[in-house]
Amino acid sequence: MDFYFGLIQLIGVHTLLGLSAYVVLLTNQVTMAQAGFFGIGAYVAAMLTVLADFSIVPAILIAGFAGALIACLVGFPALRVKGLMLVVATLAFGEFVRLFFFNFDYQIAKGEIQVGPLGGEGFRQIRYFPENGWTTGDVALFVWVFVILIMAGLWWMDRSRIGAVLRAVGEDELAAQSVGLNLTAVKVSAMTIGGFIAGIGGGIYAHYTTHIEQSNFNVLLATFAIAYPILGGLSNVFGTLLAVVFIQGILVEGLRFMGDWRNLLFGALIVLAMNVRPRGLLDERAMMTLKRLFSRG
Amino acid sequence: MDDFLLELIYVVQSIVDGILFGTTYALIGIGFTLIFGVMHKLNLAYGAVSIGGAYASLMIFHLVPSPIVAYLASAVATGAFGYLVYLCCFRFLPLSNPLAPLMATVGAFLFIDEVIVHATNGMPEPYPSVFDEMIFFGEFGLRSDLLFVFAIGLISMLVLMYVLYRTRLGLAVRAVSQQPVAAELCGMSQERTNAITFVITGALGGVAGAMIGASVGVLSPLLVAPITIKGLIVTVIGGLGSIPGAIIAGLAVGAFENLFQYFRGVTERDMYVMLLLFLFLTFRPGGIFSSSIGRD
Amino acid sequence: MRKTWVLLPAIAAVISMGFVAQPAVSQERSVKIAGFGARSGVVRSFGVNTEAVMRAAADQINKSGGVKLGDGSMGKIEISFDDDRCNAEEGISVLRRIASTDAVVAVGPTCSNVAEPLFGILQKRVGDAGDSGLKMPIFTDTAIKGGLAQISDWAFRNVPNEAEMYQSLFVWLQKENPELKSVYGGVEEDFAHSRFTWHKVMKTKSGDAGYNVLGESKWLLADTNFTTQVREMKKANPDIIAISAHPFTTCGVLKEMARQKVKPKLLVGLTSSSSMETLNGCAEQAEGIIIPTSFAPVTPEAEMAAAAAARFDGSADLHSAAAWEIVMVLKDVMESQGIMAKADTVDADRAKVRDGLAALKTTKGLLGTIKRTDEGEALKPYVYVHAKGGNWKVLHDPGI
Repeated sequence: MDFYFGLIQLIGVHTLLGLSAYVVLLTNQVTMAQAGFFGIGAYVAAMLTVLADFSIVPAILIAGFAGALIACLVGFPALRVKGLMLVVATLAFGEFVRLFFFNFDYQIAKGEIQVGPLGGEGFRQIRYFPENGWTTGDVALFVWVFVILIMAGLWWMDRSRIGAVLRAVGEDELAAQSVGLNLTAVKVSAMTIGGFIAGIGGGIYAHYTTHIEQSNFNVLLATFAIAYPILGGLSNVFGTLLAVVFIQGILVEGLRFMGDWRNLLFGALIVLAMNVRPRGLLDERAMMTLKRLFSRG
Repeated sequence: MDDFLLELIYVVQSIVDGILFGTTYALIGIGFTLIFGVMHKLNLAYGAVSIGGAYASLMIFHLVPSPIVAYLASAVATGAFGYLVYLCCFRFLPLSNPLAPLMATVGAFLFIDEVIVHATNGMPEPYPSVFDEMIFFGEFGLRSDLLFVFAIGLISMLVLMYVLYRTRLGLAVRAVSQQPVAAELCGMSQERTNAITFVITGALGGVAGAMIGASVGVLSPLLVAPITIKGLIVTVIGGLGSIPGAIIAGLAVGAFENLFQYFRGVTERDMYVMLLLFLFLTFRPGGIFSSSIGRD
Repeated sequence: MRKTWVLLPAIAAVISMGFVAQPAVSQERSVKIAGFGARSGVVRSFGVNTEAVMRAAADQINKSGGVKLGDGSMGKIEISFDDDRCNAEEGISVLRRIASTDAVVAVGPTCSNVAEPLFGILQKRVGDAGDSGLKMPIFTDTAIKGGLAQISDWAFRNVPNEAEMYQSLFVWLQKENPELKSVYGGVEEDFAHSRFTWHKVMKTKSGDAGYNVLGESKWLLADTNFTTQVREMKKANPDIIAISAHPFTTCGVLKEMARQKVKPKLLVGLTSSSSMETLNGCAEQAEGIIIPTSFAPVTPEAEMAAAAAARFDGSADLHSAAAWEIVMVLKDVMESQGIMAKADTVDADRAKVRDGLAALKTTKGLLGTIKRTDEGEALKPYVYVHAKGGNWKVLHDPGI
């Protein structure tokens, strides 16, 4: 059962990572910076619980706000570029964050040992969960409370005017501007919300892996962050969840019995998936079909 | 005063080394920028096929131990792989959807990376180079193998420019990039032209991969991701769709990278490259030159 | 649309096979040892070799009867191997998966950056009821970054103690070549192992041995351009250059040194680089490099292990040979602790294996007796090898 709880935790955190990119992708900005905000959240939350003896929930919330703050600051200059250039600009920012942590030392003495982030060596012994007796089931529940709250928030947002505004900017900026939408406000808000979600995800990540270092928050993680919403489809939040389950549950864990072939199939299946369902696993047509099925039944 | 002169020589040396090595970045940048200029899509598998082609050419090298043959084999192999990437990631996807091909090329990147790892068990494979001596002018040394890489890079770029601007093939590529519908009406098949673009850029990428192998001395799967990222950075700084921009940006990135390393050390080097890129994009989003191949 | 709805159930059916637990229906009881490590990326060869060696060792034990269980019957060793792709989250997932089977011990991981988080999720101190960490003994073959086993009472390692190896190497070099006075380092800064080994081991131990440490040059593990670093080496003009890096960048630096005509009197390398990878990449430039290693085919047991590994399509080097020793030690521990290898004794068996490993003071290694420390680390006998003519040859056996 432990294994399944662990998998549920992992899917939860990766869903948060994917949702952080989902919000920004709605406005047609492809962002490779989510791994950076994730990393910021991780280090902030870990420093709060390990160095400042914070309780876990305030630590994670503060991590979320830290992510949101930095994302807001990044959002403004990022407005000046579009398309591929935004991809590269956000990638550069993400890498900058990773390299910052590569050079970041902040250790204090707790008892006889030094704790805290130590540059390239990383930040070890983030043991809030085991030290406070949380079982894997407890942690899984904890993760999913956040995931469900955030998914509910995003679902509600999608059905409200905010969602329409985001998608309008994503579809056609000129048209959106001409009906009076403030592009700057919309795009930066999307970035900020994305940064908040990524910060929360990162804060949880630090605690369930107990050891973080700069190489965890690399371009590969940033790629996974946008892969989830693109693969899942941008029509609604469940697409991202489905994509995370597909990638982490099926491609990574489920295919283990294939041994070495699993890694080869990973890339090949992604290519196949995009060819077969270019608008994502759960695109608008699929949603309509599902709605029809449920309304009939 | 002597010490200062020596420091100066070392700084100049760093810059020159960086420029020479930057040729490889320029070649990869050209490939990215050409595909983007023509198809307005990003091919993230480009770096992977380039290195993959270099690996494939090693098999030829074991049969015919001539470095030049290996370099040509790399170009041919990557051209073929480029076509396969086109088939798998672009051909059957709706042209209006930019995200799906992007993700498909990510999948292709991961696949090619794994194939390389499985074939070689992750071990570094030595790659042939042509010159290995260093030419010394007193304290100042010039790497002859990098000079060779630089020369080959220049030649490839000239050949590419010739193909693009003096042949019908190139005309078709440029036409499709500027006005795909009008080009189609004139009888140029969009699919065929796109496929040909991938093969041409593939050949260029193969040369780049071979040159990277030759200048590093070994091929390793570790090369694939950094070269992809550098190529993207170079493309963007140079201006999307601009070949001269990619060339200058490639050399510049190589030079700055080395310069940052000289002054601030290796752990902070990439931070400054990223910062430079970020600032560049904020103040000059069009890149050095805006596109001359296609419109963006 | 059609094609997807056909595709999805097909894929789902295939995948669900992976989640279904295999029921154990064998007549004789099997003792499961679960290996895991990196079978992807540049470290793929490590995982391949460890698996081959584990299977070879298990094969040898099973051929001579197997493991004697607590009730007197014999059990066969069954080896499984999972790929963690050198990724912390996946490593944790793999360990939890292993913990949910009836494996009594896990052997791995390959990468130090996986080992650290992994040991962190284990129960820290045995008997601490308030600690909800995992209770699964892990015996590590490869992850070599210093000081990890002390993270948990359930973590044990059979990896070379680099501090001791380099200390004795530098003392010996000083004795053999008293005219050499200075050391300069080259270090791969962004890999846990190589960075730790230069700054905390090679640098300090060479200084202790009386060498003048002139400084170090740094690079990153995927770097391809070493002109600046080698020029720094040239400026320092040291007698000995110690390179703490893995084969890819080691070869890059050595080739650049050859180009710039930097020829120190002696070259010292990182333990992990005493493998075929380095010689595959740059045998010519690596000629003469001296590396302390805890495995070389210098004893009959070592040769036999190397041959057995080759039969299972792997090779024995200092990392995978540790896995051989681990399987052998586990057999002894399991027999002395009397594990039962039944479906309902899994937790008890794991606790017994842990207690048995913790109680060990010495174990039998392929090169001689291995001493075990209180923190769960190993002090392994070692030899110095150097690269000669495309092969690793033993330079000196300090007889430890």
